Amino acid sequence: MADGNVITAPGVPAAVAPPRKASTLQRVARRRSTLAFLMALPLLAVIGGLVAYPFFYAIYLSMLNKRMTSFVGIDNFSFLLTRETFQEVIWQSVLFAVGAVVAKALIGFILAHVLHALPAKGQRKWRGMLLVPWVIPPAISTLAWWWLFDPSYSAVNWLVSAVGVPPVAWLGEPSWARFSVILVNVWYGAPFFMIMYLAALKSVPDQLYEAAAIDGATGWQKLRHVTVPMMANIIAITVLFSLIVTFANFDIVRILTNGGPQDKTHIFGTYAFQVGIQSGDIPLGSAVSLFMFPILAVFAVFVLRGVTRRSKEMAG
Amino acid sequence: MSGASLPAGATATAAPSAQRKIGSIKRERRWALIGAYVALAVFVLFFLVPPFHMLMTSLKSSAEIADLSGNPWIVSAPTLENYRELLTQGNYVLHFRNSVIVTLAVVAITMVISTLAAFSLARMRFWGSATLATGVFLTYLVPETLLFIPLFQIIGGLGLYNNLLAMILIYPTLTVPFCTWIMIGYFSSIPKELDEAALIDGANHFQMLWKIFIPVALPGILAATIFAFTVSWAQFLYPMAFLVSSDQMVLTVGIVSDLIRGDTFAWGKIMAGALMAAAPPLLVYAFLMDYYIAGLTAGATKG
Amino acid sequence: MAASGIGRRAALRAGAGVFAGGALAAPMVHAQGTGGRLALGFWDHWVGAAANDAIRAVVNDWAQKNRVEVVLDFITSVGNKNLITIAAEAQARQGHDILSFPTWEIHNHHRQLEPVDDVMGRLGQKYGAVNEASEYLAKIGGKWMAVPQTVGSQFKGSAARIDLMKQHAGIDVQAMYPAENRLGPGADQWNWETFLTAAQKCKDAGFPFALPAGTFTDATDWIGAMFRSYGADLVDAKGNITIRNNDKVRQVMDYAKRLFQHIPNEMFAADDATNNRALISGRSALIFNPPSAWAVAKRDAPDVARNVWHFPSPMGPAGHPVPHLPYFYGIWSFSRNKPTAKVLLEHLSQTEQVQKLVEASSGYDIPPFASMTEEIRVWRDVEPPRGTVYNYPVRPHHKATPNVAFAPAPAEIAVQMYNQGIQAKMIARMVQNNEPIDRVLGWATQEVEGFKRG
Repeated sequence: MADGNVITAPGVPAAVAPPRKASTLQRVARRRSTLAFLMALPLLAVIGGLVAYPFFYAIYLSMLNKRMTSFVGIDNFSFLLTRETFQEVIWQSVLFAVGAVVAKALIGFILAHVLHALPAKGQRKWRGMLLVPWVIPPAISTLAWWWLFDPSYSAVNWLVSAVGVPPVAWLGEPSWARFSVILVNVWYGAPFFMIMYLAALKSVPDQLYEAAAIDGATGWQKLRHVTVPMMANIIAITVLFSLIVTFANFDIVRILTNGGPQDKTHIFGTYAFQVGIQSGDIPLGSAVSLFMFPILAVFAVFVLRGVTRRSKEMAG
Repeated sequence: MSGASLPAGATATAAPSAQRKIGSIKRERRWALIGAYVALAVFVLFFLVPPFHMLMTSLKSSAEIADLSGNPWIVSAPTLENYRELLTQGNYVLHFRNSVIVTLAVVAITMVISTLAAFSLARMRFWGSATLATGVFLTYLVPETLLFIPLFQIIGGLGLYNNLLAMILIYPTLTVPFCTWIMIGYFSSIPKELDEAALIDGANHFQMLWKIFIPVALPGILAATIFAFTVSWAQFLYPMAFLVSSDQMVLTVGIVSDLIRGDTFAWGKIMAGALMAAAPPLLVYAFLMDYYIAGLTAGATKG
Repeated sequence: MAASGIGRRAALRAGAGVFAGGALAAPMVHAQGTGGRLALGFWDHWVGAAANDAIRAVVNDWAQKNRVEVVLDFITSVGNKNLITIAAEAQARQGHDILSFPTWEIHNHHRQLEPVDDVMGRLGQKYGAVNEASEYLAKIGGKWMAVPQTVGSQFKGSAARIDLMKQHAGIDVQAMYPAENRLGPGADQWNWETFLTAAQKCKDAGFPFALPAGTFTDATDWIGAMFRSYGADLVDAKGNITIRNNDKVRQVMDYAKRLFQHIPNEMFAADDATNNRALISGRSALIFNPPSAWAVAKRDAPDVARNVWHFPSPMGPAGHPVPHLPYFYGIWSFSRNKPTAKVLLEHLSQTEQVQKLVEASSGYDIPPFASMTEEIRVWRDVEPPRGTVYNYPVRPHHKATPNVAFAPAPAEIAVQMYNQGIQAKMIARMVQNNEPIDRVLGWATQEVEGFKRG
């Protein structure tokens, strides 16, 4: 704050004096935009220095050969696309991200509604319990899940055998492993959706429901014509955010399966790690990670444009 | 925020409307409520099964955990030994302290950066500010798994490899964009008349931010703070990649690195450590949840 | 100094044994050094605190005598943290002066390592030749790029239950490989076919062999030795891919298919600890592992430990390779104190020190100099049962060879095949997905072609 005041000090008199001349106004405006720029400068520094610069550096890295001695253009990318393993990684990442996000969105939506329907008193308690998965650092809760799935000590299999079903190789069999990885991600991420939706629900004016009720709308109609349109923006943003984070997920897969069995649970992040760090091909690893970018960018632009449009409609 | 949290409005509706309709609404509500509790019970069960197992395991001795004959879901001879050992021996307390230091520093840095930036982007405008406002969110498109490789060199160049300070430097990349974005939304929702009035009263922009915007936008700021807190507390990839020495580690990697020795997992202690690690966020949410929800409401819906 | 003393005492008092290693991971700092400062990143021992304490004590003594300020971190291989650290420090050009490198990592990073020909020359004069596998991995272009290290270097022969093998498979492993310099009855028949029959019988009895087939080193190492024992190389020494049209590869794959009918499905997702847990929990009759599983069992499941015997893995039609995972000490070229680092490494490689390390690890650690295997008596004395690790190190009468998975392929290719566990994935595709062998071989060829890119 201190520096801030020093910077603004000269501006004060101008603001105090009621602006009379056009030139003063212009000066105020210019000074104002300089100040605005300065205030946004730390943000620019963080994004520029620790995201944009490394990002472009990573693009450069991805165009080097394995020993990082010569420039190979887009060879790494075209090479990856011909690999069966990498094609599977693309498919698995999509399956993982879309599967998990859809499940999280649905569960979050249901829970938010259910909570919203409760009397305020009981709501807090339930809400608190439902938030627990989101609160435990996922690196550690995933470890707990892993222990639940462990072949020798699996507590889940203990329950399963108690009902007389043969034990399941949760992480050993490709399809079960994929299921388990998504399950843990849903478990961890659904509360976030719940909270975001709950916040959105609370912002829907009650009058709208009353009006709908008087018009004789059924619950389903209310949901469809009042709730969903009112929540559209927050649903879009939450889905976008979660999709990005889920696509780029690392810790859950890494701890639970490390990509196995047979690379069948690898997603971009973990595969990039295996290729780049563990196998010592940093350029190729960077290239793997970079594949995420265009996929998500297209989706993000699409979603954000919709959000902007809707906000304008609402405002107007 | 207080007003927003009462959904009860619906029942008190409809003064002059037909009785029949009210009756059907009531019946509908009762069924909805029953359905609600059933759904809640199912999900609470799903959500709480792992934490419950963690709690049970944390109360067991190593011998009881290794014993395959018993029921893994209950504890026969509960002991607090795991908790006691964690708190009195080893580096757990140190890791906890490191996590607290990093998280507090990151939250503080994040809030300063995003409040300033959000105010400037939402209210003041400069060349390119509109692009920046949308662009902020796109930062998340660049994943950590891509960034950490180039960051090795940046961090190494700064001499911060294997140093807690590196975390304070890097984490804001994960928190600042979302927080700025929430607050841009919140600040834009504050009526324009307020700042005009302030300007006429002779306030400069910082006074305006400090005296008007921050107090009015407090729920939004709290929501952002809580978000930053959760993210910093839980971050795993960066500390895993950048920290090697146990005395520099934060909880997420410290628990794993100190309590797993080769093939020996000190499960009791890992679980005890995990539960204690979950306590600070749990407390934060328990006390500040209403603000969080209210803050998100205003901020996020305005997008 | 004082701090480190208190730390150790506290840890001993803790008695929690294995976990104290973590408690001591706080840096140990010797003040008033004149010999400079050294940061060491050593492998965090699977046998536990005793082994870590031993090397800390050795380093401690040396540091005090030479007035060097030393910071010692133990870096675990759990979750490949050691590989991450190596990659991170290579990129950051910062970190430790000396780091522990497993198997192929010297080849992977030799451009950033300081040659140690002087140290290795003097050690060679004193102790004779280093085992071939270690030389192959650490001597690059005629120059030693790292010092083969005792701590962590291991064989992954059989660690089997004496009672279960006798009862269910009819094999007396103790008689087959007695704790003396001779082979017992049946040792000449200890081949993969015998092994398969035993695997089947034990599985039927409810004690399946816990053989991992994931991407961690335990899986990679034993499967590598199995391939080698059939003479099935995926890539030859010149770098030619020899997968399709290679009868030996088909032969070993055919064998693997039969063998894995008797291995639990979840072993395809196993990490380096899954097999250990299977043995310790008493659910498995045999694993391929150094004596760390036995050491933990000794503490947690003494009845199991009393019944564990260590001996070589089976032989195949093309020889008797035993899985070997050597560790090395490399000095980063960005280190500011290379001469001191070299002095320490030479000191650590002397018999006197090696003896202490081997003892503290209950025989787990294997010195790189064959001459030391006879000189050090630890392997005779470890118990229970007495002599359990006598045949754990490869001895001359075994007529076996330490084998590094994917050798003799050129290192550039081998390191990637190794870290991505190509052979294990081939088996998994064939067994789990029922893919036809030609498709599996086609897939593997394509993968390895990818690794050949410069």
